[in-house]
Amino acid sequence: MEKLLDMARKVCDQAEIYYCDPTSSEVMFQKGELHDIESQFHSGMALRIIKNGKLGFSYTKNLINREEFLQNALDSLKGGVQALYDFPHTSDLPFLKTYNEHLEEVTSSSMVENCQRIADVFLKNTDAEIEVVAYKEIQNVRIMNDHGTDVQSKIGSSGYWLSLVYPGGGAGISRVYEEKIPFSVSRNTLDNLVKLYNDSSKVCEVSGGKMKVLFMPGSMYTLLWRLHSGTSAKSIYEDISPIKNDIGKQIISEAITFYDNALDDEVPGARSFDDEGVPTKRMNIIEKGILKNFFYDLNYAQKLGAKSTGHGYRASMWGGDTITMKPTPRLLHPRIEPGEKSFEELVAMMDKGIILDGVMGAHSGNIPNGDYSVGVSPGLYVEKGEIVGRVKDIMIAGNVYDTLKKVIAIENKLHPCWGGRMPAILFDSISVSSK
Amino acid sequence: MLLKLKQILNKADADYADIRYEIKKDTFITLDGKELSNIGSTSTDGYVIRVLKNGGFTSVSFTKEEDAEKALKTAQENAILLGSNIEKPITLAKVPIIKDTFIPTLKEDPRGISIEEKLQLLRHYNDIPLAHDKIAMTNTRYFEVTREKYFISSEGAEIHEDLITTGIGGSIISKDGNLTQNVRIGAGGSDGFYTIRELDDKFEQRTQIAIDLLKAEPVKAGAYNCILNQGLAGVFAHEAFGHFSEADIVESLPAMRKKMQIGNKLGNDVLSIIDNATMPNQLGFYRYDDEGVAVREVKLLTNGVLTGRLHSRRTAHEFGEPISGHCVAEDYRYAPIIRMGTIYIEPREKTLEQLLAELGDGLYILDPKGGQTSGENFTFGAQYGYVVKNGKKDRMIRDINISGNLYQTLQDITAVGNDLKLSKTGGCGKGQTNIRSCHGAPHILMKNVVLGGI
Repeated sequence: MEKLLDMARKVCDQAEIYYCDPTSSEVMFQKGELHDIESQFHSGMALRIIKNGKLGFSYTKNLINREEFLQNALDSLKGGVQALYDFPHTSDLPFLKTYNEHLEEVTSSSMVENCQRIADVFLKNTDAEIEVVAYKEIQNVRIMNDHGTDVQSKIGSSGYWLSLVYPGGGAGISRVYEEKIPFSVSRNTLDNLVKLYNDSSKVCEVSGGKMKVLFMPGSMYTLLWRLHSGTSAKSIYEDISPIKNDIGKQIISEAITFYDNALDDEVPGARSFDDEGVPTKRMNIIEKGILKNFFYDLNYAQKLGAKSTGHGYRASMWGGDTITMKPTPRLLHPRIEPGEKSFEELVAMMDKGIILDGVMGAHSGNIPNGDYSVGVSPGLYVEKGEIVGRVKDIMIAGNVYDTLKKVIAIENKLHPCWGGRMPAILFDSISVSSK
Repeated sequence: MLLKLKQILNKADADYADIRYEIKKDTFITLDGKELSNIGSTSTDGYVIRVLKNGGFTSVSFTKEEDAEKALKTAQENAILLGSNIEKPITLAKVPIIKDTFIPTLKEDPRGISIEEKLQLLRHYNDIPLAHDKIAMTNTRYFEVTREKYFISSEGAEIHEDLITTGIGGSIISKDGNLTQNVRIGAGGSDGFYTIRELDDKFEQRTQIAIDLLKAEPVKAGAYNCILNQGLAGVFAHEAFGHFSEADIVESLPAMRKKMQIGNKLGNDVLSIIDNATMPNQLGFYRYDDEGVAVREVKLLTNGVLTGRLHSRRTAHEFGEPISGHCVAEDYRYAPIIRMGTIYIEPREKTLEQLLAELGDGLYILDPKGGQTSGENFTFGAQYGYVVKNGKKDRMIRDINISGNLYQTLQDITAVGNDLKLSKTGGCGKGQTNIRSCHGAPHILMKNVVLGGI
């Protein structure tokens, strides 16, 4: 990497090298039986150069020929993509505990054993169609640039994805559990999932209208994607955010504090620097309902006359191959501050309503405007504070900025879920449609 | 290349093994509004090894040639582990052993066109919406993906096939005060650069829809009888029905598998659904899948009766059904999984006017905006629509998301039009992205559809 950086420095104004080498293995159980084992050993490198205010970019999986790799980036300068920002000089980053060597103890065999144990509990106690996945991921990330930045981090995690599907329906109760160390899912947790599944197995008829809806962490990405769109520097620059002029204003319920915290190394995936080498920080985006900050990468910060907030990541809504993507503003560690109520207390607060345990179609609808309209997958039906069954063919709809004004209570715990760590949130008067 | 792969595969100690090496070349241009935000051309490569040993079948993907032995060893160990933990050993369906090189014929090879010309064309299209006051933003992109694939198996298969996909995609965003609306635009295909020429009218039409949506009414939540246009009906064929024609999905859901037995009557008599990736000049076209099996036409649903299924070699044996050649990977990062090729609802006799008359009062909803299934339930969005009164198109509506149950909906499709259209861009995300996923349909009439409103 050093040699390549030296070569690049000689022919352009600025240069940056990004390296990563993700390795992963995954064990999958279906119908209670081992179904598949997959492994990946990948590595790759991406080069960004800036010359005369223009950006050059190239990437490779195999650095066989440095000259050719650099030449590809130089050739792409001709495209004329503007880059008026400077790569940062970053040093003295806080030490984060992102990797625990005990992770090496996680093997395909140990994952098979753990999955079998979970599947056995589910098989014995439910009639569900069971899917159990265990995985381990380890990667090194290193970023060097010609301003003297050379930062790196080894990041590791292991986890489980469990799903109890109602027979025939396809929808089911799904959960993610993730740690930095080898672990097994506790019997108590499994028993709670079994209870939730069994309590909700009966199909109930419900007529549409406005009612209480409890968004579970697994459904929160529906709201998160819309908040992400509204507070991204890219949307601000493109003038498509409905809250562009609302910094300092109360835009949603004061019960909600929405923040990003890449420094939280109690959980997997912490980062002291983003994919551009900019230091990260805990940052409130919405504090007690008041819009406080938008999030920036280097590029959009320069365009908007702001500073990068350490949110330039090589990521997209749909994942993708890290090295092939250029950094854009992304929230990779979003959270909503937990409240006071346990899950059971939240359910007890519902006279009549739906627990939105999972959704379908969160990517449809007008995301920039904040609108959502999702199918339940599944929706558990609550009457008089108790789960009495589940509903089918139901849609839940609203606008994120309106929904977040209707907060009744927030769960006292954060759970790992797609896109971040979220509590369950109970909302009042949400539109539910049915046949 | 094939020789090098053989040397790697020769070291396998297995009942069956195959290796796929791919060079993937991407050319990409992105315009955000007037601004060029991305442009370039680059190449990556990697390998996937699959091993069948002692009844276990596993895969490892890797990017460095020097990792080949480690990958092979890991795959073998995992296969033994898998085999010792399952009751029924995995067997692969027998297939003809193919040795072939297939390079598709293109009308205007995009690789022979300069990136400057591609940028100029994209800018030209992008300027069409931006000339209108009410258009706040565009995100348009050009993409060209070449997969140069080499496959060999321990059974003697030796295949080299190239897949070259060209396309333009994006969205047009209109704005009035705080209200934003967007429509999507897409064009492209598998057989050359000509598929993205002469799109001016299309960009004009989409722009007008984005502007009109600012004045459209949000649809009221409830259940409606609807006519779905070709794009939207194609998404139904793909999302709601097609995924459950994929044997790897249905095998994990025993209750669903029972309902999806070949010979079961599932849908209305007017409904027939076919997957045919062998059709030339379509986005979904390919000759061999990523396990070296020649793809063939599969009649999935015939007059409402389930008549076929999409398979890998593993599932074809497991189900005792014929192989179909539908095991496809996104690229060298992944082992292949079962994917649709070109799935479509077979056209019948009715014109759109006849369908509107048959509908009487209801909604006419158009163009897909993402879809998702979860077992027998599906949800997908429409970009815009119209209220229909007495068989006549009336005012425009927006914020349309529909939800339904597969089996009920297969019965509720009561009329099928005569105007089949296939999609020009794809992007199915079943774990991996399939940019060649092609779907289509004529207009269809669907009864009692739940709309979410907002």
